[in-house]
Amino acid sequence: MTPVLQDGCDTLPKLFLKKTAERGDRIAMREKDFGIWQSYSWSDYRARAFEIAYGLLALGLQRGDVASIQSEDCREWLWTDLGILLAGGVVNGIYPTYQMRQVEHALTDSSCRFLFVEDEEQLDKYLAIEQQLPLIEKIYVFDWRGLRDFRHDKVANIEVLYELGREFGTRNAGLVESIVAAGCGDDLAALVYTSGTTGMPKGAMLSQRYIIFQTLLAPDQLLFSADDEILTYLPLCHIAERVFSGWLPIAHGATINFAESPETIAQNLQELSPTYFFAVPRVWEKFYSRITTAMSEATWIGCKAYDLALAAGLRRADKLIAGQALSIADKVGYALADRLVFRNIKKILGLNRAHSAASGAAPISPSLLRWFLAIGIAIDELWGQTELGIATTCHQGLFQFGTVGRALPGTEVRIAENGEIIARSAGQFSGYLNLPEKTAETLVEGWIHTGDVGVLDNEGNLSITDRLKDIIITAGGKNITPSVIENELKFSPYISDAVIIGDQRKFLSCLIMIDQENVEHHAQTHSVPFTDYRSLCARPEIIALIDGEVRHVNAGFSSVEQVKKFRLIDVLLTAEDEELTPTMKLKRSYVSAKYKDLIDSMYVQ
Amino acid sequence: MSAPLLQMRNIETYYGPIMAIRGVSLDVNEGEIVAVLGANGAGKTTLLKTVSGALDSNKGQVLLDGEEIQCRDPDWVARKGIAHVPEGREVFPLLTVAENLAMGAYNRSDKDTIARDLEAVYEYFPALRSVQRKMAAYLSGGQQQMLAIGRGFMARPRLLLLDEPSLGLSPLLVQEIFRIIVRLNSEQGMTILLVEQNANVALQVSSRGYVMEVGGMVMDGPSDKLLASEDIKEFYLGKKEVGVRGRRRWKKRKTWR
Repeated sequence: MTPVLQDGCDTLPKLFLKKTAERGDRIAMREKDFGIWQSYSWSDYRARAFEIAYGLLALGLQRGDVASIQSEDCREWLWTDLGILLAGGVVNGIYPTYQMRQVEHALTDSSCRFLFVEDEEQLDKYLAIEQQLPLIEKIYVFDWRGLRDFRHDKVANIEVLYELGREFGTRNAGLVESIVAAGCGDDLAALVYTSGTTGMPKGAMLSQRYIIFQTLLAPDQLLFSADDEILTYLPLCHIAERVFSGWLPIAHGATINFAESPETIAQNLQELSPTYFFAVPRVWEKFYSRITTAMSEATWIGCKAYDLALAAGLRRADKLIAGQALSIADKVGYALADRLVFRNIKKILGLNRAHSAASGAAPISPSLLRWFLAIGIAIDELWGQTELGIATTCHQGLFQFGTVGRALPGTEVRIAENGEIIARSAGQFSGYLNLPEKTAETLVEGWIHTGDVGVLDNEGNLSITDRLKDIIITAGGKNITPSVIENELKFSPYISDAVIIGDQRKFLSCLIMIDQENVEHHAQTHSVPFTDYRSLCARPEIIALIDGEVRHVNAGFSSVEQVKKFRLIDVLLTAEDEELTPTMKLKRSYVSAKYKDLIDSMYVQ
Repeated sequence: MSAPLLQMRNIETYYGPIMAIRGVSLDVNEGEIVAVLGANGAGKTTLLKTVSGALDSNKGQVLLDGEEIQCRDPDWVARKGIAHVPEGREVFPLLTVAENLAMGAYNRSDKDTIARDLEAVYEYFPALRSVQRKMAAYLSGGQQQMLAIGRGFMARPRLLLLDEPSLGLSPLLVQEIFRIIVRLNSEQGMTILLVEQNANVALQVSSRGYVMEVGGMVMDGPSDKLLASEDIKEFYLGKKEVGVRGRRRWKKRKTWR
């Protein structure tokens, strides 16, 4: 296998040493402390990573040993990530939303020796299952608040590890450098547990080569450079945020900014206005809903201006999509619309400085992409998965919505006989930990069976139809791809997520999760009385509202593809609930099983 | 079942530019005690003031027996049969106990029934009988609270609004006051809308409850169900699991299920 190199380096630690030395005091990351942004330079990043690396070495970490990080995104996450890698260890990111059972699995399955937790809340999850985890030798806590009087042999403040690392580092100067130099592309670097919709999550093994391969995305496929500011808000355990906030900035030098919490993304975005913004479809849908709701109660003049501007924007967008040349009138109309309306919208969203925007990790509705293009935000769709990394990208300036673009150089994509997309690349994953059968199912003769079904056009553009296992075969024998319908439903500001049901059934039905904020707002403006979320979902007016949205979507589909009945999920779900993935998508199989009675009620004669 | 005695529908009330209640709906049926729980600043008092007319709502309706009563003067609302026992008692300090109680019956003219009700108040609150001639300012906190409730009762309202009757009282006095509230309800058939921070007592005496947070309702249900809810236990009753370390600083995420 030919080596995969970024700037002459075949591993992330080598690249990190080289780049941090070059960048010195340039700002690497910012995070708020008590509401004030604090900056950390590349030298700080390096210094902290070294302390952690030496600390772990002092504790006896051997090459290939696993250390886990169980935390929300924060500066220590990345410092620890690199610290573990510099010492030759393997990083296992654990979702802070995981409950005890899942934490236990991720720690036991990976034979984890060292655990890093964010705070006392995450620590308590470990303490509750301490007896089942004899392999864990030490636990370090990033945020020691509330633990001053706490004493435990294995648990310590992260400061203790820094101190240990500083002391061990002075006595063993050059040790980390020599360990890094001995590393190679085949070394295991990270474990990423995929949010398994059925059964326990599987630990995908990612090598150093995988990481370096992902850093090659920029600058050719993604316009990502040292001047970029990015906002870090998706879980770093998830491969997408790891690529965008972990690996790409190390390779290319962008500055990352940590969102304060998942609830403050909108405010943080506004104050930072990042230049490169990656989001999952749910976030883009939320932005769209916010603007349309705001417009629905704007003044008459405001509404008129928005309608006119959007018409001009859509005219231009449609020409761009069709690949036609823009007339002078189009350009002038758009320039005017941008100056008067779109610029403000982009400012409100915090996207006025964004030169690039990308969407990935789930399919997105083409109508949504068209709307964003109309207001001047061209979103590039990416496609990939944990096993493959980011595998295809749309090229800037081409607006072929519905496709996820072409395979990266070094990545081959094919369609298997059953329609499944198979792919292989120089940077693919190395199998699932402890699961040879699962690995053999996914990795067949070197090709990764992605589980997605899709089509390749003559130019090599890939379009994703759906997940293979999600394709619905109705009782009438018709094949239906639910995600297309679901995405159109989610385009409604009142629908946050939807799951189409209909396998082996007479007709399609749907479970819908409403968008709390917008539906509550609608209820309030239309005097629909309700008390809590459940009573809101039960209001006939709200059911009628959603019914209208469903009918609207149905109009665009053939009769068999239309949703004949639907039910609302009347429990307000949070990231801690098993119904949702960490990126807040409904899990189809889990939801279908959990709400079986509700689903059956739609098929009662 | 007949229509609720009091219905609030999508009420929005502002204090200047600040929306103190954002879309609240609530029902009180004839003859029941309904509790509204919530932390400081949740909008509980605003809610009662909106019902009694002390504050005007910007949006939504308050219906008493199907008739709209929002945004009317408080005296008009009082004549319609709503008595408000405000937070912090607000008795007339320079009037005697008897005079305070007579003020409660200001809108009534039938001397016989007034005398009977006055007797009833002294029976429920024997402590007031002995201080009849005393100025209200000289009463203890507990006596003042009793007086305030008694004054509300003297109006013989269809609906009694009680704003934090437990405020500043000793646990023993709280028990006593609430015993009397329950008796007013069961013996006199008084319908009561009760606002409280003391979730434990409030849920024990009420048949249904609502939970308010930052101006909106987050949960409602029969009181026994609320008492059993995990979130209510942790955030209102202070019965959190101590966890493995014996102490816990972090808070669970509220789900209101």
